[in-house]
Amino acid sequence: MLKTSTTNVVPEKKVEAKNKTKFRLTANDKYYASIFAGPSLFLLGLFTFYPMFRTLYISMFLTNTFGNTTLFVGLENYVKLVTSPDFVSSMWVTLVYVVGVTFFTIAMGLLLANLASQKLPGIAIFRTLYSVTMGVSVSVAAIFWLFIFNPSAGFFTLLTKLLHLPTVNWLSNPTMAMWAIIITTVWMHLGFVFLVFLGAIESVPTTLYEAADVEGVSKHYQFFHITLPMISPTLFFISTITIIGSFKSFGLIDLITKGGPTNATNMLVYRIYNDAFFGGNYAKSSAEAIILTIIIAFFTYLQFKFLEKKVNY
Amino acid sequence: MSKYKKFALPLIILLAILVVVFTGKAFSTKTAAAKDNRTEVVFWHEMGGPAEKSLMKVVDGFNKSQTKYRVVPKYQGSYDAAIQKILQTHGTSTSPAVFQAFDISAAQMMHSKFTTPVQKFIDADNFDVSKISPVARSFYSDKGKQQAMPFNTSQTVLYYNASLLEKYGITPPPVSPTYSDITRVAKEIYEKSNHQVKGMTVQIYGWLLEQAMANAGVSLTNNNDGHTGIPTKATINNKAAKEFFEWIRENQKNGDFISYGSGAMAGTNQTTSFLNGKLGIYMQSSASMSQLNKKNKNKLGITYFPHPDGQKANGVAIGGAALWISNDKPKDVQQGAFEFIKYSLKPEVQAQWQKDTGYLALNKDSQQTKILKDLYKKHPEARVPSQQLQEAVPNNFNSGILMEGMQKTRQIEQFAMESIYNGGDIVKALKDADKKIDENLTTTNRANGYH
Amino acid sequence: MINIDERKILKNLFSYILLIVLAVVILVPFFIGIWTSFLPTADILKGNYFSTNISLTNYLDAFTKTPILRYLGNTVVVSTLIMLAHLLFCSMSAYAFVFLDFKYKKFFFALFMVTMMLPGEAAIIPNFQTVKALGLLDHYSAMVVPALTSAFGTFMLRQAFLQTPKELKEAADIEGLNHFQIFWKVILPYNRISLITLGAYSFLGAWNSYLWPILVTFSNESRVIQNGLKQLQSEETFNNWGMIQASAAIIVIPTILVLFIGQHYFKSGLNEGAVK
Repeated sequence: MLKTSTTNVVPEKKVEAKNKTKFRLTANDKYYASIFAGPSLFLLGLFTFYPMFRTLYISMFLTNTFGNTTLFVGLENYVKLVTSPDFVSSMWVTLVYVVGVTFFTIAMGLLLANLASQKLPGIAIFRTLYSVTMGVSVSVAAIFWLFIFNPSAGFFTLLTKLLHLPTVNWLSNPTMAMWAIIITTVWMHLGFVFLVFLGAIESVPTTLYEAADVEGVSKHYQFFHITLPMISPTLFFISTITIIGSFKSFGLIDLITKGGPTNATNMLVYRIYNDAFFGGNYAKSSAEAIILTIIIAFFTYLQFKFLEKKVNY
Repeated sequence: MSKYKKFALPLIILLAILVVVFTGKAFSTKTAAAKDNRTEVVFWHEMGGPAEKSLMKVVDGFNKSQTKYRVVPKYQGSYDAAIQKILQTHGTSTSPAVFQAFDISAAQMMHSKFTTPVQKFIDADNFDVSKISPVARSFYSDKGKQQAMPFNTSQTVLYYNASLLEKYGITPPPVSPTYSDITRVAKEIYEKSNHQVKGMTVQIYGWLLEQAMANAGVSLTNNNDGHTGIPTKATINNKAAKEFFEWIRENQKNGDFISYGSGAMAGTNQTTSFLNGKLGIYMQSSASMSQLNKKNKNKLGITYFPHPDGQKANGVAIGGAALWISNDKPKDVQQGAFEFIKYSLKPEVQAQWQKDTGYLALNKDSQQTKILKDLYKKHPEARVPSQQLQEAVPNNFNSGILMEGMQKTRQIEQFAMESIYNGGDIVKALKDADKKIDENLTTTNRANGYH
Repeated sequence: MINIDERKILKNLFSYILLIVLAVVILVPFFIGIWTSFLPTADILKGNYFSTNISLTNYLDAFTKTPILRYLGNTVVVSTLIMLAHLLFCSMSAYAFVFLDFKYKKFFFALFMVTMMLPGEAAIIPNFQTVKALGLLDHYSAMVVPALTSAFGTFMLRQAFLQTPKELKEAADIEGLNHFQIFWKVILPYNRISLITLGAYSFLGAWNSYLWPILVTFSNESRVIQNGLKQLQSEETFNNWGMIQASAAIIVIPTILVLFIGQHYFKSGLNEGAVK
């Protein structure tokens, strides 16, 4: 998630228009360009473009035990996927997860950022504490939460016992397992999202709030009618990267649920991995990879487009 | 000067890439043991935790026993993950010379032609295999030719908390229990402990379903589980599977059954509960035995895997894994791999291995060693798995399933188990599983050109 | 007046309570994780969280009985190499897109942008085969080589380079510097904040990568920490929770420290992003 984070943060056109000058335009530029841009282009070609075409190619074949393509079947793999209840349910599960994660990450992030943007003594401490999960990697998050969800000695189990509530076996109940993954993901992303929202809220001109205060408008109203519209570009940016990041979620699932129970958390990337590197069915996995690519490309494109227009400016 | 400078940067870039590529290699290879003239035999294994420690004893023992070869063990994680790694690295410098691959991958490994059948070395060496358990050997042989050498062989057994049974005055299950025997014990545990202790669990693990079917004498696929031809159809929707699940459902209704789910920690959670006296009965590989004995404050009870009422147990298939020799390594390395296999089968080595882990000693002479005699004196129940193995008459139903894509099949079985545990209809779940396995089989057979 | 003051105090009090409650909610997993890492596993399994048998045994075990230090070392090397490579290759290609004029420049830039739309997760099968063909499996380079450059990094630095003041460029022109000199002596130093930001992102990205390393590493000699924890977890038949928690703590504590020290840079990087 971090990797793509600032992707489109800098509005491109604005900058370009501001100062577009070049150094010298010499015939030498071609030579320099090949040195400067060549390595990156070569590497991207080899490890990003070529694999895409190759995946597309594999997805139209059957593959044998060794992962070699043997029989051309056209779109059969896709047709099979789309008509298989298993895959369809996986897509639903992924969707539920993406929506859940995006909603709660943003809601929590906004809540925290709004609270931490208050001018109170000692607020810096809270800002630091809230951003702490930024330093948590997938495996650490998974281990901390696996212990919390542990049915015999976990924190939640103790808590429910203490309150004399029925214990929930988080990871063997399909619904709860999904919640477990969502909670862990939201927690893990919260630090980063919080910091971005905080930055955005702080850059809203204070005069707007002052004016509202004078008019006696409630803080609640101010949040929805001043803060939210003013930070809408950031909101959009965070939404798209969270959506993209959630579609690509893998580590937590591998560490916590392994896609179970009853495929309740068997999301797209986990399927791709599972079908190829456990099931040995490279063709099916490739078809799934292409479907993932289409989804991700769509949301990335959306992100590019909207940011170009600069939401609400 | 300027000409020279022009090339400076491209050169630096090139160098940077090369440095990255080669230092990377150097870094990772440097740590291998100090160089000497021994031939290195890279050994991939999937023994984690305590079993890894005892496996290291075997490896160290071998390395000390001679000066020609050095076995370099590399842990590969789960059995499942290892298979694709083995298939995918074949022919590269990374690939192992000898590797441990589990029971259900046997068909895949044989079809891959990536290995040198150990029969070749057995013949060349005039190695006497008659002492090695025939049941285990036949599991990994094809038309009388030994493909791989069984190494760690286990039996699925039923563990119970003997102290708990004593405490509540419950009669322990008989040697070869029926489903209703276990139901009785589980129910009594649950009732007499005032619902504080759950009676039993059956882990959501395809292996247990397969064993239930093997023990009832039915097959999972047509062509006799692949022993008489390439399987083309799954037959999970059968009487034995239904009985097995009805038995579980009955216990669910009684309230004595608990499921630990199928997540990453399900197995460990189950064991932890058992050790903490919160669970009375569960079924697991005999390989857990020495661990259960070591960490257990309670007396451990072991008996055979249960079978349906009104029939005799057919016996369960052996579990565990075998050692295969890759054919992409030079002759001397392959020979070294075989020397290691031979060493691993020595009576004392196998006896120590059984004592340390709970896997069964495959060499008949192991039973005469002091190591095992002492073990049986201290833990008479440690004999149970070997007895179960000896009592079983090998047939197509209890000799494993020779079918590619078994890992996917296991996942499908597990899916069926989960949905049944969550209250789903048994027949529907089984039919569904058959359908999914059939689809995979059709694709696999088409892709590989099997007809 | 007093009335308003009281209301304000009450309101602040309420804010503090809310702030503290939320902080606790967020920090609870840390507290539990780090606290239990000091307890013996037996106590943890009994749910005896308030045990007084506090010790560093779990940490000692983690360091001496598991290859966690090796995993950490591997990850630092791999992440550093990727970070350096990103800084070099991304700044170079960004330079080309900003300061050089060449045929199909727009097209090539569009290619870079398209790359950002393609998820690496979808490319694992062919990339695995490529890396295998190059003979890099189970080496650091299997993780480093496919990640030597980043389209995102190029894009980010391009945006930064575009804002380099005219005067700097003109001065460089007058001095008659060639492109390498301008790149090295003018552009990079001027954009060092952006470079540091990219470096931090690249390092963290590499540090956190999970799926790719799991596919291409087969031994502890090259295994990275993210996969290493899974390894420890699967190796322990009887969950030695104390030690597992200690391993997690060993990993998370330095990252958090680095984060707090580097917070300033992250913030400036983020603020650049926090649309103005």
